[in-house]
Amino acid sequence: MFSGFLASDFLKNFADINGESKYMNILQDVANHKTRAVQIDLDDLINYKDLDEEFLRRVTENTRRYIGIFSDAIDEIMPEPTEAFIDDDHDILMTQRSDEVADGEDGSDPQQRMPPEIKRYYEVYIKASSKGRPYTIREVKASYIGQIVRISGIVTRCSDVKPLMKVAVYTCEDCGFEIYQEVTARVFMPLFECPSTRCKINNNKGNLILQLRASKFLKFQEAKIQELAEHVPKGHIPRTMTVHFRGELTRKVAPGDVVELSGIFLPIPYTGFRAMRAGLVADTYLEAMSVTHFKKKYEEYELRGDEEEQIARLAEDGDIYNKLARSLAPEIFGHEDIKKALLLLLVGAPHRKLKDGMKIRGDLHICLMGDPGVAKSQLLKHIINVAPRGVYTTGRGSSGVGLTAAVQRDPVTNEMVLEGGALVLADMGICAIDEFDKMDESDRTAIHEVMEQQTVSIAKAGITTSLNARTAVLAAANPAWGRYDLRRTPAENINLPPALLSRFDLLWLILDRADMDSDLEMARHVVYVHQNRESPALGFTPLDPSVLRAYISAARRSSPSVPRDLEEYIASAYSSIRQEEAKSSTPHSYTTVRTLLSILRVSAALARLRFSETVAQSDVDEALRLMQMSKFSLYSDERQRSGLDAISDIYSILRDEAARSGKTDVSYGDALNWISRKVSS
Amino acid sequence: MGGPQYDFLSNPLGAVRSTFEKAMASVSDPSSFNSGDWGAMDLFTNFLFDQSHHLQVPVLTPASMRWIKPNTLVRFRGMIQDMLGNEFYVGAYKDGAVWRTNKFMDVSQFPIGPSADTRIWERRLLYCVPVPGLNSWAQIPSEAVTDQCMGWKSEQREKRPRAEAECSDMTVSSEEDQGSPTTKKMREGEQPSLASQSRESEIASSSFSPAPVPEGNSLHCLVKVYDSPESELKLNEIFEFVGILTSDPEIQEDNVDNDLSNEFCEDPLRHFPPNKVVPRFHCFVHRKLAAHDFLQNNPIIEPKLDMVKGIREALLRHLTAVLGNDDVAAHFMLLHLLSKVHSRVDSLAVGKLSLNLTCFSKEIVSIFGNQLNVVVKNLMPFTHCIPLTVEYLNTASLAPKKNYETNRLETGALQLAEGSHLIVDETKLEAGTLNSLGVENARLLNNLVEWQKVEYDFKYYKMDMTTDVQLLVLSEGKSNILPADVIVPFRPSAANCSEAVTAEALEAWRWYLATVRQLPHSIESEMQQVVENDLVAARQADRSLNAQDLSRWLTMSRLMSLSFGETSLSLEHWQMVKELDRLRKERLK
Repeated sequence: MFSGFLASDFLKNFADINGESKYMNILQDVANHKTRAVQIDLDDLINYKDLDEEFLRRVTENTRRYIGIFSDAIDEIMPEPTEAFIDDDHDILMTQRSDEVADGEDGSDPQQRMPPEIKRYYEVYIKASSKGRPYTIREVKASYIGQIVRISGIVTRCSDVKPLMKVAVYTCEDCGFEIYQEVTARVFMPLFECPSTRCKINNNKGNLILQLRASKFLKFQEAKIQELAEHVPKGHIPRTMTVHFRGELTRKVAPGDVVELSGIFLPIPYTGFRAMRAGLVADTYLEAMSVTHFKKKYEEYELRGDEEEQIARLAEDGDIYNKLARSLAPEIFGHEDIKKALLLLLVGAPHRKLKDGMKIRGDLHICLMGDPGVAKSQLLKHIINVAPRGVYTTGRGSSGVGLTAAVQRDPVTNEMVLEGGALVLADMGICAIDEFDKMDESDRTAIHEVMEQQTVSIAKAGITTSLNARTAVLAAANPAWGRYDLRRTPAENINLPPALLSRFDLLWLILDRADMDSDLEMARHVVYVHQNRESPALGFTPLDPSVLRAYISAARRSSPSVPRDLEEYIASAYSSIRQEEAKSSTPHSYTTVRTLLSILRVSAALARLRFSETVAQSDVDEALRLMQMSKFSLYSDERQRSGLDAISDIYSILRDEAARSGKTDVSYGDALNWISRKVSS
Repeated sequence: MGGPQYDFLSNPLGAVRSTFEKAMASVSDPSSFNSGDWGAMDLFTNFLFDQSHHLQVPVLTPASMRWIKPNTLVRFRGMIQDMLGNEFYVGAYKDGAVWRTNKFMDVSQFPIGPSADTRIWERRLLYCVPVPGLNSWAQIPSEAVTDQCMGWKSEQREKRPRAEAECSDMTVSSEEDQGSPTTKKMREGEQPSLASQSRESEIASSSFSPAPVPEGNSLHCLVKVYDSPESELKLNEIFEFVGILTSDPEIQEDNVDNDLSNEFCEDPLRHFPPNKVVPRFHCFVHRKLAAHDFLQNNPIIEPKLDMVKGIREALLRHLTAVLGNDDVAAHFMLLHLLSKVHSRVDSLAVGKLSLNLTCFSKEIVSIFGNQLNVVVKNLMPFTHCIPLTVEYLNTASLAPKKNYETNRLETGALQLAEGSHLIVDETKLEAGTLNSLGVENARLLNNLVEWQKVEYDFKYYKMDMTTDVQLLVLSEGKSNILPADVIVPFRPSAANCSEAVTAEALEAWRWYLATVRQLPHSIESEMQQVVENDLVAARQADRSLNAQDLSRWLTMSRLMSLSFGETSLSLEHWQMVKELDRLRKERLK
């Protein structure tokens, strides 16, 4: 057995990164009855120093056979137990049996020889290599039969766990021998006549009795998995596949789980009458070898090999801030500052926990307010698509559970159960709430708590609890009278209480302004779409949502802090805003300590985008500019023109251009050029 | 008839086998075909379309089901309602020293030895139903079918000896298993009434209730498709399949004795009605059908401008008469009937023009509602009508839903074929409370109008399926559940002045509607400038105009020039569109 030799050689000699011999350790645990599963990772086989390519190919293409080979190899090299363990029935039976075998009668009879399967305490699994993308169900074709494949899907149905007979053991009434029958299929034909030589010689049709206690059973569970929605081509129905779980892999999945499975794609062997009639249709199933649940959190996002490189390349690009922002909802024209703000919302700032136990949230909250038909909802939906964990809901549209949480009576058990609403479901993610102004009064009160304390407290029907809702809220609302009325003050137009408004870090007003250029732009766009049956070219190639996601999750790993020398700068900026507000007769906003925290959060998010551990002054400037812009968006045209600070405007132009060209010094000529171009456009 | 050496019509499998043997002579291992084609498909395509034997193939209908012999070439027209995934089958196996194939068969003709060398190939299973809402004029007339087959039957009788010799091995083996008398009767086709009776009783007693069983006179079919790219056959598309019907009771028996696993179906067909009710159909060649394939005597004429104009005038006159001399509504109606989603840009469906005729009070509905329905039915091949009531919204299942118990997609009222016409009659809607299903249904209808998308419910997630449905909404005021692209208040001036329509005229109109909407369209650059300027000017004048309004104008202008059979926009037609919209706006005031 050449393959058997290779298998035992690999198991004995494979050393992981720490130099430990991984599989021998597992086998020692098996010998000590601590574990049952022996998972052979094909990645280890690939990394094995004496890798035999041919052997690897054979293992991947004829996996079922090699499970047997590995099992035989393990039988050979199984170490002695080093710890005492409590004998169970199985062990007692085994000792008895080995005593009997030692008596050495009829050893040549194949059906009387003990099959190795019955002695094994362990189960061997071969896990597919985790390199590359898993297959979708429709990609698994007839040519993959017998091979190990890795697929992703959603579990739709699960059967109960049932026992599956692996080795049937009979005893003969006449000769008293134990007869073994290995079961390989799901059905088997029981033996009735004793095949032992003694019975045969005596011409005695010994009556066999099935011994359930002595037989070996395996846990067995069947499940159906279905393709994920994003893998189904347009105009097609998701495919399904049957999966068999055995032994230690049972009870790992539940309906609704999104999983990645590796397993052997096998036809169901027909038995008995059907096989003889040679029904043409061969059914297939996946014999599961490993189960991985998908994690959908930034913190658990694993970068794939090429992504790491791509991010490193992007991070070197000075213009990454603009580039990422533009790649959000690229089909929505303009709104650059809003997209920048949304990008920062995705990135967020680190959570802070003070020494006295107080928590300061890091999530940014943004509210988009605007006329109907300015693509607010599309922006929201796009952000949800980019975020690994996002819930989209409308203020009115959520179910009885509402946005926060509700206590409900379970119809079956009649118990009170706690059910989380959209905000709780979006914990550690983003919750986009459309039609924020049309929200129920009860939800609106609860949202106050969510937005600052990031918990949902509930005291209903004897259940008093507090659920985590560490989510960034992205809200969209319509003005009070459907359309923004320029004759009224912003406060009148915004139909939300100031207490709620102050919790938003940034508030944008998107107005549908009457201006010739944008009208022409729109007309051109519509004509183009009708003529060319596609959207006009964007003038840049937007980054893929998956790249965006990877970049953001990488950025979220750093937790930047504010250096001491910048504290003064921020404090003075804050106080000057307060001063201005005090001077103005009709303040349009309420600058509070919350505003200061907002500035810090936005700057921290900006620092994260640069993968920096410290906040720079440029971050604070940009944060202040965004906040300023968000405030200006609330005023009508004329007021905005007069209110705009020319110096900071010019400064921001210079900074953007400098970042783009990657230089720190700017010549006067260039600066004049840029500014005149920007101002005229 | 027939090709050079094969009798395609009565023994297509003979042709399959002999080509396979011929191909095998040159290669030693069938895996070199890789479940692909060895030339049989081309042979059939050539026979059917190039030699135009296509119309000689009998059509599978509930009536012809009774006498069509298994394993002979038939045609079947249907919409793909569900996709059941792939089926793996022993495609080729070694019988002694000879390779044989099982392609296009349910059961192998020779027993496969247990240790025989086999190759597993795959085929796709599609569940096809007759096109929902197919109007009687678009169906293949039954006399024609029987005529054809009578001729074909007698012809076949002459050929009997040869055919028998060729397919004896097959028929014998399947006849042995035939226990039920029903099949025999169905086969002989001599007592059709009895046969259908017992068939119906069989349906009633069938234990396969969860799967949708064809009711009444419709024929559902499980089509098995070989070697075609996945993108070619999509859900809700209408196809004509040419292939063979297998009548083999084995599969059904297997279903019964295959209950080893009680709750899981090893066999994807387990939850299927027996194949006498849903026949298995092995497809050789498939062809996508469009509206003009449903015209009776499909004249392939180049649409000439003056002829198109003439037809347009006549049709418009007819529509005006039907709509009580309301000229504006008739114009919009014409454009609406020509509309189709010609492209999708981002999430936008470009080219749709849903129409909402308002001011339909009780009296007007009683006069015009039915009439309008009849007109649309006469003009469009597939039409539907939904009378919207609170009760309907609260109980109907509009969206198709996946049933995981049966592993089937349960159809809903909104699973419609491409190019269907749907009238939603909102006049019967009264005030009432919607339950959660009602809200969901209202949302579905709203999405359908706005995005031409229907959400299919897969329990664990929902999937948007794009549709192309012309929506006509009749309501008293502006419909808010179904926000149509165009709202036209209906102003009839005469009660009923529709004249009798000749069959020729109807045929011409159908041809016109089916053909003209397929024409290409473009806007020349000068015209584009004019259009752009007009749009900007309009928006400057009226701030409430948004991108959708501009888009609607362009769609209308496109349809307007198509309605004249022209392929590029002229200033005249653009002015007509603007004028039409102005007239409409005046009514809205």
